[in-house]
Formats: sequence, C-alpha cells, structure tokens
Amino acid sequence: MRIRYLLLHAYGMGGTIRTVLTQANTMAAAGHDVEVVSVVRRAGEPPLAVDPRGRLSDIADLRGHAAAPGPAGRLRAWRERRRAARPPRYVPGSEPGHKAINRAVERAVIGYLRGLRDGILVTTRPALNILAAEFATGGVLRVGQEHMNLGTHRPDLRAAIARWYPHLDAVAVLTGRDRDDYLRLAPGTRVVRIPNAVHSLDQKPSTCANKIAVAAGRLRPQKGFDLLIPAFGQAVEAYPDWQLRIFGTGNKQPRLRRLIEEHHLYNHVFLMGRTDEMDEELAKASMYVLSSRYEGLPMVMIEAMAHGLPVVSFDCPTGPSDVITDGKEGLLVPPGDVDGLAAAMRRLMGDEALRAEMGDAALATVQAYGPEAIRERWTELFEALERGNGVPGASEPGSLVRGPR
Amino acid sequence: MAHAELDRVWPRDGRVRLVGRLHGRAPAAGEAWELLLTLRDGDGRRLRYPAPLDGPAFDVSLPVGDLAPRDVALPAYWDAHLAPGPAATAPRLRVGRLLDDIRGKKHVMVYPGQTVAADGRTARVRPYYTVRDNLAVEVREVREDGEGVAP
Repeated sequence: MRIRYLLLHAYGMGGTIRTVLTQANTMAAAGHDVEVVSVVRRAGEPPLAVDPRGRLSDIADLRGHAAAPGPAGRLRAWRERRRAARPPRYVPGSEPGHKAINRAVERAVIGYLRGLRDGILVTTRPALNILAAEFATGGVLRVGQEHMNLGTHRPDLRAAIARWYPHLDAVAVLTGRDRDDYLRLAPGTRVVRIPNAVHSLDQKPSTCANKIAVAAGRLRPQKGFDLLIPAFGQAVEAYPDWQLRIFGTGNKQPRLRRLIEEHHLYNHVFLMGRTDEMDEELAKASMYVLSSRYEGLPMVMIEAMAHGLPVVSFDCPTGPSDVITDGKEGLLVPPGDVDGLAAAMRRLMGDEALRAEMGDAALATVQAYGPEAIRERWTELFEALERGNGVPGASEPGSLVRGPR
Repeated sequence: MAHAELDRVWPRDGRVRLVGRLHGRAPAAGEAWELLLTLRDGDGRRLRYPAPLDGPAFDVSLPVGDLAPRDVALPAYWDAHLAPGPAATAPRLRVGRLLDDIRGKKHVMVYPGQTVAADGRTARVRPYYTVRDNLAVEVREVREDGEGVAP
C-alpha cells in the first residue's frame, strides 16, 4: 500500500509528531510504501527519525534560501514574500496551525493535494484535514486524524469541521467520546476510533510494593497537579510512608512548588523535572495518578499500565473512561473531586493485594494498545477503504455510503 | 562510609527539625550524640545541640535564629553532622540522604526557607541538599519585599 502522512512540521518533538512518526515507521517496517510529508521545514534534520524503509519530504522549506538570479527570480521572491505576509484563505483563524500556514504555504499545500492520484493520504491536524477534504479530490483516499478532543476546538473551527469532515473517506479519533462528538457535529462523517499505541508492551512490571505514586505531564493547569498535590496531602495523613513523584516541566513549576510548601508536603511530593528514563521510573512506582482537567488520550497513563501499574484517575474528557473501567484496572473519580481523588489513593495505598490485582488487569487491558494491535487496526481501515468498503466497524446508518464529494 | 541518613526535614515553626537514622555505625552505650552545624567559611564556628538517639534513630531540631548571628557575613552556609559526644575521638557522621534512588536532590527535594529578622537585617534560612546529597543550611539576606539580595 502507498501511504502518505502529512504533518504540519515533522522536524519537531511534540506528541502528535511522535505518534504519527511511530505509526508511519510501523507501517514502513511492515513493508508498505510510506512517505512522511512535512508541510513546512524549519530544521535540517528531524529529531525523531523516519524509518529508512520510508521517506521524508517537505512542501515548503522555510530555512531561508537565496532567490533565483535575474529579474524573474526577484519578482518570484517578491511575490512569495507578499503571500507569506498574508493569512491563509481556508484555514480557520482559531486553528493553532493558522500561524504557521501563511497564504504561500497554503497555496503550496493545495497544489500538492491537487496532484495526488492514488494510495492513502493521512492528514494529522484539523487545518490539513479541511484542506484535504476540499482539494485532495484527484483519486487519493483521505483519512483525517484528530489528536485533540472536539471540546478544545473553537466555533469557527467547528463550523469548518461540520462542513468538510463528511467529505473525507474516514476521520480517525482517539476515544469513544470523540467518536460520538464528531458524529454529532458532522453527521455523515465516517468516524473510526483508533487509539495511539504504547511504544512497547515488553516492559519491566512494577512489583506494586514500593510506596511511590507517580504522575507525569507538562506542569500546566490542564494537568491538574494543583488538585493532585492537596489530594495527596490528605492521603499521606493516613499513609505517611508514601511519596508522590511528578515528572515534567512547565511554567507552573514555581506555583506548584509554593503549593507543596503551603501544605508542608516537601517530604512527600517531589517535582522530578524531565527524565529520559520514564520506563524505569514507572517500573519503580506502585500506582499512576491522572489529575487532568481534560485530555486527548493520556498516553503516559497507558504506558504506566504496560508496567502493570493500577491507575487512579479523574474521569475527565477524554480518555480515562475509554481505557479504564472503575474498579477493574484502577479507580475513576468524578473530575475535579479532590476529596474523592484522596480517598481513591488511600484505598490503593492501604491494600497492596488490590494494587497487584488491578495492576494485572491493567496489563491485560493494555494489550489492545500494543504497537502490533494498533498497526493491525490501521491496516484494516486502509484495506477496507481501498476495497471501497468504507470504515470497518462503523455502525451508524449510512456510514458505509460515500459522502458528498 | 557511615553517615546519618535523613528521612524527613521539617523547616517550619521557626525551627529546622531533622529526622532519620544512623547508617553503617551502631551507637554505643555512654555516647552523648550531638548535632553539629559548622560554618563552611569564615571562622569555621560550630553550633552544638543534644541529639539523643532512640536505637539508631535521631530526631533533633534547632531554632533558625541561631544560624543568622549578627557577626556572620551573609550569605552563609552551615554543614550538618552528627557526632557521638564532645570528647569523642570517633569521627563525626555527615547528615545526608544517600540511600534512595532519587538523583539530583538539590533540585528535586527542595525545602522552603524561613525568615529571621534581627539587628536591622532580615535573613532567609533554608535547608538544602548539596550536589553530593548532603544536607546544608543556606542563610541569605532578604530585602523588605522578600526578594533575595545578590551576594
């Protein structure tokens, strides 16, 4: 199969880039003809490598280069600069990629999309999904990916999604809640849920015996560490031998440090900073705690489950309830309920057998998120589209009928 | 090498309290253990506090005001040891936290400071881990608005 992955910028380190490159590399390793296409290029080499069996190319090289000689070259350079100064025509203003996609870049992307005649095109953010729906109409099969939950999109972007997503051959979302939300906003869209894969299922399991709870993420309000810290303070009143290790960096670090000091938790809660050894850190812990206000699909939580860690999590949109059943792999707590989060942590702190039992259940559940299992689901989708069968597993009436083009 | 392993440090209520146990050194009968705070530079002066052991366990505290005497130039740094008594010839033990798996405690296990106002200057007294994970106490002058003064 010929598969093209279109990324806004393949030369970065973000979560979407990592996820998409993992998918592309897995498909390349399985023998498919894979090309990763970066809309813009601002760096020489990508920090995350593309598998040598695949290819990496770019549409707009923004590293700065000399204009072609002569009056024609100067005229072309002047036109490019003028277009570069103007906003895109089709990308909604609230799409975070709006800044990076100026008129010149947008024209180049449209030209690229118009030229595609065969194979599968996977676009990886709303701006690119919308452009593909409108312009990649020459015969290529278009699969749009959504890495964020619908609730994070503003009205102008929602309107564009409602208008254009039904034209795509498939839209892939990460969670069941997203599947329902996108269908409600854009009826007729062929939505399929395919979560991201963990990087490995072959992980060192936790013994669930160390009195260490772990959390991870950017130190930003979204992650709710300001709720987790007081909740942990309540829990260690009953179990003072436990400690909480929060991995990550971010601009709320000083604020969280103050919160730790106000609650006199400097002996129990540690801001660990960044680590290159997250796998080892997860294996040392005995529970993973997710205190987010919202998520897309919380991958570190799922990575933690691959180590056999039980989870205590707010039931926030979206992700935790897709992965976890309350009482099975861990405990789900109403979002924002600090006392509930404390009570759930206390319950696991006080019961090593329960931790081990839920950790085993987590390990069983996470098998569905392994690299091979997820590759299988993508392969199934692409093959069904190539056969003209529509989206596998879509149960909504009319979902197997092609939408308007 | 033997040392005094910290379990908890409590900088609050005007005191610094250190809780932990001896490691690699069994206490003997008749020893009168003390906590020593030694000024790192300057006149090398030493503060001494009784630190009776319960088996190998210690639980000792001192008032932060002692660490900011008027005749000590700021910033000042005090290193912490436990010693088996004033007349003892046995070597003193460094107080630190060496036995767990956390590297780089200087930036991970961070304690709050407490302010001491005396003799027209205000100082902030803050225990911290050195790059070798030993415990020391930093004393810095602060302005009225609470911001630190550059040395």
